[in-house]
Order: sequence, then C-alpha cells, then structure tokens
Amino acid sequence: MAYDYHRSGSLAEAFALAARDDSALIAGGTDLLVALRKKKRAAPARLVSIRSLPELTAIEAGPGLLRIGACAPLTEILAQPVVRERLPALAQALAVIGSRQIRNVATLGGNLCNASPGADSAPPLLVYDATVELAGTGGRRELPLSEFFLGPGRTALRPGEIMTAVCVPLPVPSAQSVFQRRSRVAMDLATASLAVNYELQGGVLKSVRLAAGAVAPTPLRLRAAESWLEGRAVNEETLAKAVELARGEIKPIDDLRGSAWYRSELIGVFLSRAFRNRKEGDA
Amino acid sequence: MKVPLRFLLNGREVALEVQPHARLLDALRDYAGLTGTKEGCGEGECGACTVLVDGRAVNSCLYPALEAEGCAVLTVEGLVSAQGGLSELQQAFVEEGGAQCGFCTPGMVMSAAALLSENAAPSDDEIREALVGNLCRCTGYTQIVASIRAAAQKAGKAQS
Repeated sequence: MAYDYHRSGSLAEAFALAARDDSALIAGGTDLLVALRKKKRAAPARLVSIRSLPELTAIEAGPGLLRIGACAPLTEILAQPVVRERLPALAQALAVIGSRQIRNVATLGGNLCNASPGADSAPPLLVYDATVELAGTGGRRELPLSEFFLGPGRTALRPGEIMTAVCVPLPVPSAQSVFQRRSRVAMDLATASLAVNYELQGGVLKSVRLAAGAVAPTPLRLRAAESWLEGRAVNEETLAKAVELARGEIKPIDDLRGSAWYRSELIGVFLSRAFRNRKEGDA
Repeated sequence: MKVPLRFLLNGREVALEVQPHARLLDALRDYAGLTGTKEGCGEGECGACTVLVDGRAVNSCLYPALEAEGCAVLTVEGLVSAQGGLSELQQAFVEEGGAQCGFCTPGMVMSAAALLSENAAPSDDEIREALVGNLCRCTGYTQIVASIRAAAQKAGKAQS
C-alpha cells in the first residue's frame, strides 16, 4: 500500500493533479484510508491532499446563504452559531457522524463525494435545497445536491473535477426542520434516516421538503409525499397517506443493519413524529 | 524514498524522515520512538491511537504523517507534569481505577484531555459523548467516567 503523498499548494495545482490517472484526491481521509487499508480500493501512485487549501476550508455566512468549503471539517461547521440556530437538522446530523476524533478531520465534501446511501449530511442538505459547487480545469459549475448522487459511490463529478463548496440557502425563521436517524450503536452508520423541513401558515403546510437516507441506492427526496403534504393541514389521515407515499418512493434493502421492512417502518415513524412534534402555537 | 517531516512533539521540535504514506501513528511509534500511543483497530473505530493535533483529538491511525508538518502534536508522554510526575488527569485514572489492562488508557486520557481543555466542568453525559470514539474491552467505562469527573472536580477546586 505504498503511495506518494502530495500536499497540494494551490487549487490550480490540485485541479491539474486531480485530472491525472495515477492520482486520487484525499480530504480528511477517514473513509479513504480505511478503504485502502482493507484493500476495498486499489492504492493510486499518488494521493493528492486538498484538506489544507484555504479556498476549500472557508465557511462564509452571507445574507440568506451559508457557503461551506468542501474541506471544512465537521467540527468547524458545528461550531458555527448560524448552523445551530438556522440549520438545526444539519447540526443534528453532523453531531452523530463518527466520533469526535473523526469529526475533527472528516469533511463535508468527503461525506458527500463518497456517495454512501446513508451519508448523514445528505438528507438535511437536501431538505434545505443545498447546491454543490464543482470545479476543475474545464471550469466551474453549480448543481442542486439532488442531482449530485447517481448511485452507491457514484456522483455527477466528472473526471478531474473537485467539489469546492456546498451552498445552503438559510430557511425563513418560521421554517421548522429536524433530522432523525436510527443506528444500532453509537458510531454505527444509519439504519435509516429522515430529514424534514416545512413551514406552517394558517394551519396548512408550505414548502415541505422530505429526504431520506440509507433506504435507497442514494440519499433521496421523497417528492410524492412532499406534494401530498403541500397545502394540507396536519392530521392523522394526512400523515397516514404521506407515510404510504413515502414508503412507495424508497427502495430499502435487507442487510446487517436492518431488514427492508424495518427500514420502511422507521421512515414512517420518523415522518409522523416530525409533524406531530411540531412546536407549540404553530398549528 | 523517505521525506522530511518537522513538527512540535510534546513541546519539542522534531525533524524526522518518514515514508510518504506513513501514518502519524507510525511516525510517533516507529520514527520518534514514543510507544505510549497504541494501535488497536487501525480503522478509526477504537480510539487507542488518539493524540491531539493543534489541540484537537484525532485518530493517529487515520492521520497521514505528512499532515502533521508544522503542527503541535501532543501524545500521552507529553502529559507528564513539569516535575516529571503524572498529570492530574492521569493521577485521577490511577486513583479511580480508570485503567484495567491499560491498552485503551492512553487514548482515553487524550480524549479526556481534549474535552477538559474545551470544557472544564463537563457533565457525565458530556464525558460519555467525548468518549464515543474510545473503546475499552475490559469495559471499565464507569471508572473511566469517574476518573475524568474527579480530575475536573480537582482542577475546579484548585481554581477557586
């Protein structure tokens, strides 16, 4: 498993090296180094480290938008008051990724680019309508996160492209959001997860966003259930129909973390709880 | 081909020559000769290899050695007090029975050191949360939490 290790000195240099067949990018390395060690992935001739590039680690809060550098460590993101106050579902998700040691080095871009179906940062970012910035020698583009995941371990990144940032529009103050997940023990990957974001206006739901993790080949928006809930009042019948639609949209599998049946049950429970436990006085 | 690596190790500058793919754990144990840091799982699950890099707890088995260039690395050896004795945190582990076989102890102590530097008076829940990434196979968790609680209380009393 011998490879050369190069700490990239600039983004331009990283773009040039990322395009080479003999090189692979490394950010926090908490997934990649384990995969190389377990030989789940062949070692490249060279690892190109991008974790210390200031352009990739900055976190900037602008009016109505939070721009998170793709290589910002999870601990740094969690330390932002704007994340805890305005993006609670994201804060809840990042806080349960790995251990403190892992969160001190693991990056948001790494969690997304790994494209695990259960990536915990994905459902909250999907319900906040986040976009990702992708760049390379060929230029820069922006993509809704919902179009970024193509399958387990597969993304819309083109060869040589690097995710440079994640842009999260800040929800209006009256919006409510929550992230729920179930795992067997602390530090385990999610068996299933669900993020929800919505507003209640005059007793009816508005701007409903639902996104699930670990129940399909990719993290995914539950658009049929969202459309059903839009404009409706929260009651048991409305929720029952939403749960039925959500269960029709997911494609859970049986594995060591849980059965497809259990995962489907979890999604139903998470969905119902997210709307039943809404804050007092909002109905 | 080995490459140069310079960093601050327990307050002293070190200059090593390491393999480019070496882990910080290898640099500490094999190149710097400090074997207090242990290798357990080698996959970031058990925390036996926990050290602090610029004050933050990391798994040194998942930390490329070259990323430590110019950083301040603190290992369990660096916790020794100025007089050469155990630090108050280590002494608390001794008094409260926080170590059984002792293999996980350096990692536990380093995670605790990181916690106490950020939060001088943690609750038991906060202590447990800070130790999520540290496994003890003797399952002496109760005494480990008690050790950290005792160290925090003692430091609190010394302050007031």
